Amino acid sequence: MTNQPSLWDRQPEEPQEEPGPAAETQPAARSAPRILRVTDLNRRVRSLLDSDSVLADVWVEGEVSQPSFPPSGHCFFTLKDANSQVRAALFREELARAGMRPAHGMNVIIHGRVRAYEPQGVYQLYVDSITAAGAGDLHARYEALRKQLAAAGLFEEGRKRPIAHWPRRIGVVTSPVGAVWRDINNVLRRRYPLVELILSPSVVQGTTAAPAIVRALQRLYAQRDLDTIILARGGGSLEDLWSFNDERVVRAVAEAPVPIIVGVGHESDVTLADFAADLRAPTPSAAAELATPDAVQLATVIGRLRERATAALLGRAVERRTFLDAERRALAGLAPDIGAARQRASDLLDRGTRALDERLARRRMVIESALATLHTLSPAATLERGYAVARTPGGRILRDATEIGAGDPLQVIVARGSVDTRVERTRADGTEELLT
Amino acid sequence: MIDDARLDVLTDEELARRPFDELVVALQQTVQRLEGGNAGLEESIKLYRQGLRLHGACETRLREAELTITELGRRGVTGAEPEPADEG
Repeated sequence: MTNQPSLWDRQPEEPQEEPGPAAETQPAARSAPRILRVTDLNRRVRSLLDSDSVLADVWVEGEVSQPSFPPSGHCFFTLKDANSQVRAALFREELARAGMRPAHGMNVIIHGRVRAYEPQGVYQLYVDSITAAGAGDLHARYEALRKQLAAAGLFEEGRKRPIAHWPRRIGVVTSPVGAVWRDINNVLRRRYPLVELILSPSVVQGTTAAPAIVRALQRLYAQRDLDTIILARGGGSLEDLWSFNDERVVRAVAEAPVPIIVGVGHESDVTLADFAADLRAPTPSAAAELATPDAVQLATVIGRLRERATAALLGRAVERRTFLDAERRALAGLAPDIGAARQRASDLLDRGTRALDERLARRRMVIESALATLHTLSPAATLERGYAVARTPGGRILRDATEIGAGDPLQVIVARGSVDTRVERTRADGTEELLT
Repeated sequence: MIDDARLDVLTDEELARRPFDELVVALQQTVQRLEGGNAGLEESIKLYRQGLRLHGACETRLREAELTITELGRRGVTGAEPEPADEG
């Protein structure tokens, strides 16, 4: 019997048989029943299950029962509901990835495939992902709370305040460990190191997160001179981010005394705290960027201001020169008056000249009459009246008869011409008699 | 804010310690007054000098700035247990 080939073993050797559902059972029906080995049976069942595409990719919801964690690092448990149960295996790698530990009584949603475990003749769920059930519930709660808080006005656009352009102090609520705080630090160190950061640390994950975040926010609210607050957390599952949908946290965000930026998770994660914030940042790093100006651009802005100052001053100088030019032109416009003045001066000069000329003319007349008088006194005029002048050969005019002797030559000058004579005789007296 | 009267008496060192935004605003105002054209030439030159000082102070602040961090309630932090490093 044990040597008899089983139906299973024989099957590949019967390719001539018609394929189809009936093909496998027909020989059995025709002849003696085939007796299968257990191994063969289990292998056949496994093969059957493996060929079912639905069972290879299945979502199942149920309650975890009696989980065990053997030293291998795997986890085995029973998944059940009110009527049924199925065994489930969660291997070490998947368990580590799941981020949660199945616990007795926990409602979970599992994804995996159904396979037979041949050695024990059981089929079970091989789990590749497991999440706490109620995610659907979470979504419903999220929507309900969103509507409620929206109705309370917490999300209204009108409440949103502008973020300070030039913050001096920024408060940050996040976990002091992990990448988020480091990222925020790096962004601000690169972008706007002028700012002072006030960290109010908080856990941002787990059941204690919501009240911790509220306390951390309130510590910041008690600070003075904060310009902006950032509430940040890295990415995670819906459950991880759930505290940012907690009503206490959302209300605390809405009560922020200064503008608050919320950057939680990744771009696609939108929490209710995001809605309540003055500004929603897609990520924590983006929150840091939205909170600050860029110092590199600032250097450019400052440089431009300086250029503008220089341009303005040059403009003033040019303006000044234009003004001076205008003044010069205005002065040039006054030139006709100068001409008039010159004309007046010229007139005055002419009058002066004329006056002078008249005076000169009068003088000339006086001089001429004086000259005429002088003329009458000249020897020529005397000679004209009949007098003569006697000159010795030495040229002297003879006034005394004793100065000459008989026989001496004498020149007698008359009005017209002269007479050369010789002295006959001289007399020292009797001049007056001779003239009368 | 920094007004003109204080600008005149502030030393460069004191100026460099003023909050950065004040310096930039003062610089902006100075430039705007220069551009306004109401100031005479001498006043313009004075404003320009003032602008240069403010610009220098801004540059110094930018160059020498270092991020300062204060942590609140260090002792009272109940949530100091490390959380798994976030990937975001």
